[in-house]
Amino acid sequence: MKSTQYSEKVLDHFRNPRNVGVIENPDGYGKVGNPVCGDLMEIFIKVKKNDKGEEIIEDIKFRTFGCGSAVATSSMVTEMAKGMKVDDAYKITRSDVAEELDGLPPIKMHCSNLAADALKAAIDNYRKGTEPFVEASHSCTTEIKVILGLEEFKGKGVYMKVDDLAKLKDKRVLIVDTGDKSIELALKLTEYTGRVILLTSSKTLPGSDDLKKKLKSSDVKVIFQSEILEIKGTDEVEKVLIHDFDEDENYELFIDSVVILD
Amino acid sequence: MGIYLDYQAAKPVDERVLKEMLPYFNDKFANPASLHGDGDIATEALEKSREKVANFINAPNPADIIFTSGATESNNLALIGAANFYKKKGNHIIISEIEHISILNIAKYLERQGFKVSRVQVDQYGIVRVDKLKKLINDETILISISTASNEVGSIQPMEEISEIAQKSGILLHSDVIPSESSIPINVQDIPFDLVSLSSNDIYGPRGIGALYIKKGVRVKPIIIGGGQERGLRSGSENMPGIVGFAAAAELMKKEIKEESNRLKKFRDKLIDKILELIPNSYLNGHPEKRLPHNAHFRFDFIEGESLILSLKDYGIAAATGSACSSKTLEPSHTLIAMGLLHQEAHGSLLISMGRFTKEKDIERLIEVLPGIVKKLRILSPLTPPELLKKYEVK
Repeated sequence: MKSTQYSEKVLDHFRNPRNVGVIENPDGYGKVGNPVCGDLMEIFIKVKKNDKGEEIIEDIKFRTFGCGSAVATSSMVTEMAKGMKVDDAYKITRSDVAEELDGLPPIKMHCSNLAADALKAAIDNYRKGTEPFVEASHSCTTEIKVILGLEEFKGKGVYMKVDDLAKLKDKRVLIVDTGDKSIELALKLTEYTGRVILLTSSKTLPGSDDLKKKLKSSDVKVIFQSEILEIKGTDEVEKVLIHDFDEDENYELFIDSVVILD
Repeated sequence: MGIYLDYQAAKPVDERVLKEMLPYFNDKFANPASLHGDGDIATEALEKSREKVANFINAPNPADIIFTSGATESNNLALIGAANFYKKKGNHIIISEIEHISILNIAKYLERQGFKVSRVQVDQYGIVRVDKLKKLINDETILISISTASNEVGSIQPMEEISEIAQKSGILLHSDVIPSESSIPINVQDIPFDLVSLSSNDIYGPRGIGALYIKKGVRVKPIIIGGGQERGLRSGSENMPGIVGFAAAAELMKKEIKEESNRLKKFRDKLIDKILELIPNSYLNGHPEKRLPHNAHFRFDFIEGESLILSLKDYGIAAATGSACSSKTLEPSHTLIAMGLLHQEAHGSLLISMGRFTKEKDIERLIEVLPGIVKKLRILSPLTPPELLKKYEVK
């Protein structure tokens, strides 16, 4: 079955998604998925007690990055859960959502039917705690750990300082955030190449307020909450292995140069 | 039919081509192998067609053209056929990281047969790194296979340089020219390719027919064994309607290619300029100048490609994406990853490919609706930063 062979209901929820948005100060917040895999979903809930003292989902909102079925399942689960008892909403399963949508293509069942999981995460968050947001468990560190291949590729694509920016012209450059100097370098390098990536362990934009502002409007691509594990190549740098500690996942990225300022 | 902007996936058969093909389904149905008069008519049509296809790529001898069932078979015959013939000479083959899936999978197959395959890297624009290619060559290298352009991001490869390197080292050069077949004239005497894969559908001929150009003196072992048609290199009774259609398409394309690519280049540049201007956080994938006239490949931050395609569908516009969510394997495009894009960037890509029947108003319509679609999906997306939402005037 083609990925685009969606039921009319799926298409309707994709075209006109219900309950899109954010609830400020929600009672529960759930986030599942990973943009690397192509799906990320968040659900916000507001809970109140009815006359009988039962907990009811009074309001629910979502935001989704993903394919047609990811959007449709998010929209559907919010529609199903709105006004429901929290206990009942907790029991909504992936297949309940798929069924309500008159089915999903088989290939989409496992990857994008995350909506029920996001709702569960939001309810768990509501029940467990005072903190409505799940914070990343990792603290940010600027300490550079051992990087495999670092010594081997020094001068062959790995640079600890850059005197002549022109030698990085048109190269794909990955700069490790080691403070404001590295950010300034990243910004300057955008005049020499279209591909500058800043890798930071921080969760938000690093650097001084001024640099943050400049980064925001620049062409520097920032990778957050990550570190380099290994530098790979035959004679020169070809790829880096990156560890994303928010998702606890490793992946390879094709690049030409790595800059780690001393 | 709505607005079709997915020409890299499939092209319609030109009416003029179809007209030439029709008699060969019934009136002139005979087998060229037959000795009777009807067989002679078929033989004549077969050889006339071979001449036309040879002429299309300026091949010196019509006999250098071997008809196959299409691009995939041509690639199989070229790579497996040459590897098997020359395996005593060496067991090393070089392809690029961004070859068509058929080449990638044939290379994997050859690896399982004991051949060694190197995949040369590309730069951020999807252009093969010639310096790296040189370094990959060794005494065992028998074949380099690099396509003239990327069928996805449209980057045009430095074939002159690559061919020079191959010649100097005495290595065979194969090229799958299909991505550029409808927009860049091919002249195998200017750039001395040894093997060239051609497809009929990619020049508005029927599907199920293609060819492999084999330079005189270059040898391949057949992969299909049977009655010994096509100089024993490709057995099976000739697909006469297909061959006649392919030849008619090649003749037309040769005549119209320049005018057509100039026309499409104008549309392409207008589309790229407008989209990058109208949509914030949008980027062009591939090289800004060294790109196919009919190709525009974008990426939009914070949104996913399948959602884009579905939304365009509602406006009657057909296009493609490199997003994992739209592929059978759920992996993002290998080309975009090899160029150094992150997975989440590859997910937000949009491939627009134009062709012979694309009109200026089609492109104008796309420019009109795309910014709104991107905006709608970004408002939905949790990845969209607040500053951008503010720009969209959303609280």
